[in-house]
Amino acid sequence: MKTKLAVISLTLLGAFLSSVFCDRTKENMYEDVYGSMCFRRLNATHQTGCSSNGKSRGSVGVLHLISSDSDINFLLNKPPAPPYAAIVTPKHFTRENILKLRDSTFISAIVLINDTQKVESFSQESKCPNEFFTHSQQPTCDILKPETTWNPFGTGLLQENFEIPIIFLSNRNESEKVIKCFNDFNKDFTNQKQRSLCSIEINSFMSAAGNSEICMRRTEIFKLLNQIHYCDPLQGKNVYATLFPREIVSPKNRTIDESEKIILVTARLDTTSMFDGLGLGAMDSLASAATLITSGHYLKKLISLEKLNDKKINVMFMIFNGESYDYIGSQRFVYDLKKGDAFPSPSSYTKPLNLSNIMLMIDIGNLDSFTDITMYQLKDSDFGNNLISSFQYYNDKLKLNINFTSKTTNNLPPVSAQTFLRENSSFPAFIVATTKPENKFYHSVYDDMNNLNFTYFNLSADFDQLDSIGDSHSFTVTSVQIKIRNAATLVALGIYDILNKGQKYNGTYVASSQLVDEYLYCYLIASKCRLFSSIFEFQGSFHGNDFPPQRYISVQATVTLEATWWAYRVLGFVLSENIKGKTKDNCTVLPDYWIPGSNMTGECRLTTQNFSLALSPAFEEVDYNFKSNRYSTWTESTWNELSARIFLRPSPTHESLTFSIGFVVMILSFVIVYIVNSKSDVLFTEMTVEHVSLPAQC
Amino acid sequence: MDINRVSNEKKLNLCTWYFRAGFAFLPFVWVINVIWFFDSAVRKPPFEEQNAIRKYVILSAIGSFIWIIIIATWVSLFQANRIAWGSWADDLSFIIPLGSK
Repeated sequence: MKTKLAVISLTLLGAFLSSVFCDRTKENMYEDVYGSMCFRRLNATHQTGCSSNGKSRGSVGVLHLISSDSDINFLLNKPPAPPYAAIVTPKHFTRENILKLRDSTFISAIVLINDTQKVESFSQESKCPNEFFTHSQQPTCDILKPETTWNPFGTGLLQENFEIPIIFLSNRNESEKVIKCFNDFNKDFTNQKQRSLCSIEINSFMSAAGNSEICMRRTEIFKLLNQIHYCDPLQGKNVYATLFPREIVSPKNRTIDESEKIILVTARLDTTSMFDGLGLGAMDSLASAATLITSGHYLKKLISLEKLNDKKINVMFMIFNGESYDYIGSQRFVYDLKKGDAFPSPSSYTKPLNLSNIMLMIDIGNLDSFTDITMYQLKDSDFGNNLISSFQYYNDKLKLNINFTSKTTNNLPPVSAQTFLRENSSFPAFIVATTKPENKFYHSVYDDMNNLNFTYFNLSADFDQLDSIGDSHSFTVTSVQIKIRNAATLVALGIYDILNKGQKYNGTYVASSQLVDEYLYCYLIASKCRLFSSIFEFQGSFHGNDFPPQRYISVQATVTLEATWWAYRVLGFVLSENIKGKTKDNCTVLPDYWIPGSNMTGECRLTTQNFSLALSPAFEEVDYNFKSNRYSTWTESTWNELSARIFLRPSPTHESLTFSIGFVVMILSFVIVYIVNSKSDVLFTEMTVEHVSLPAQC
Repeated sequence: MDINRVSNEKKLNLCTWYFRAGFAFLPFVWVINVIWFFDSAVRKPPFEEQNAIRKYVILSAIGSFIWIIIIATWVSLFQANRIAWGSWADDLSFIIPLGSK
């Protein structure tokens, strides 16, 4: 009986012990807050972004919600219990407010919350993106002249340096957690000094400082005991594919063929925002990439439908990476072309290209509303005029509902073509972009599907099929799917005219709106999607995610980011040829590639896609002069930890009381020890050696 | 080693050798020499070797003082100009601070 009882009680005790939380008391004081951090990037002259205080464990401040201008004034004019961490809503996240808070000595951090209240505009990018890397040495876009700017809604905070951390709480629950803590403890502004206050501790300490030149140099210095990595250059990969497969040559016979003529069609792969891991860049660059993909798909189909077999002119579709950071991808591309044998790489088994192989370039810039589109060129040219008349012709004929205009101007939109024109001002580059900038959330966390006004229709029909004029499936005429389809149709038919030597297309097909629908879903909602699963399988299954791929260029040198892989596969898919009759077992060696296909029955495709490196030539050239402003020099700082937590900070009175007690106890202990030591002969009777027991001898 | 238990002759020998070693760009040896033999050189009642020890202690003191001036000048010069000197100063630095220039 007794043993039974003992067993039962032991089991109960065990069960009780296992449910005990053994966190340290110190840890229980804090509650973690999850958000996205603003981090530090550097270029040739400046450091931008944010860093917390590195001396202690991050920056600490008393939370204070800014709900009106009077709250800002409260914080700026000797607040009672500094330092403070300002909780800012997107509405108050203006350049004026944030710089005021940054420059105040009373502010130690900024917490940006995700507010349901819709803001008019929210863009941390400069009013003139990539201002100093235009075609001309003199900037053509002037921040002070609104009519010349390409992002009039921009606050330019992305280009500012903050010695305080800024965290964005995108999750509503996290925002509410912080606001609740503020309401519970800090809302009463009177006698804050005498009370315990809810505070936040943010740790986002950045290793690099100064500029890219300094941090790259320090990273490269060999230190015997103390090797530290300070920063990494922004780098990724460009993706390209050609309309017709290029001739396969052995690496030994690689020479430039001057007679090879190529039309280059380009768009941008990457986007950016102020906060780590956020920002889909929906209207910003995803829509133009979608236009490129859809027009490639359409053109490929047209070629086989119209049996256009003259392959003298090839079309290369290229999506550049890192264009948000002073055109990294296109700079590297031009640099490689000028080198002579660097693009495409020898491993591609194709002939190298140089700049003169490019007959003309059509650059698809931001299309914003998709209805007001302008073709920009630097100088009037026959090529340009022919393109314009083609565009106008098809716009009217196919009723594409685009207000199409053309413009010859010095102030070109911030797109990749700037890099080519910078190299040669008479380069035949034509930019198809929005007539006037309308993206109010450019390069921000709010440039998402709502900004693009995208709704997924999830039509079950085959997205690999073209639309007919007037056929809009279930899409409304004003939906973004139809608008992108129309823009893509226009671009593709402009190229078609050149390939077909001016003979017009008389058919009734236009680009595929369903491809647009599927493409946008994959990049805006989840990569576990129909399009991706029908163009890629790995060992018979497909692994997508429930979230969209990140499109920030990042600093990966060895790993290719998911978004780039998908761009590679999608571009490869739309420009590939279905080789009928080839089985899966015979379709294993590139350029043949087996895909599940849009109806999931499996098809063998002859592909042309490939990668090229998007790493600025500044990090490639030996002894590059960082002051020359020739190439992009953006780097990203390294960091150890990004974290934030809230806790109750005791009042200064409480803190000083604790400290004083500790101090008094210490002094007392010294006094006691001194007294005991000096009176030791009285306190302790002398011990003789005999009394001390010696250790036993073994 | 308790210097008080060493014979005067040995003291002089040690003091001489510490003084000589200091010339091998080892100013700290001179500083130790000064601290170690200061009592013997100045405070102790006169003995035969005291004058010689005193001479070495004073010379060591002067040497260390010159070194302190040199080091202090260099340190302040380096700290004030580390950023401006750029690459060269980074090569000289053993530890480069994180998060600042």
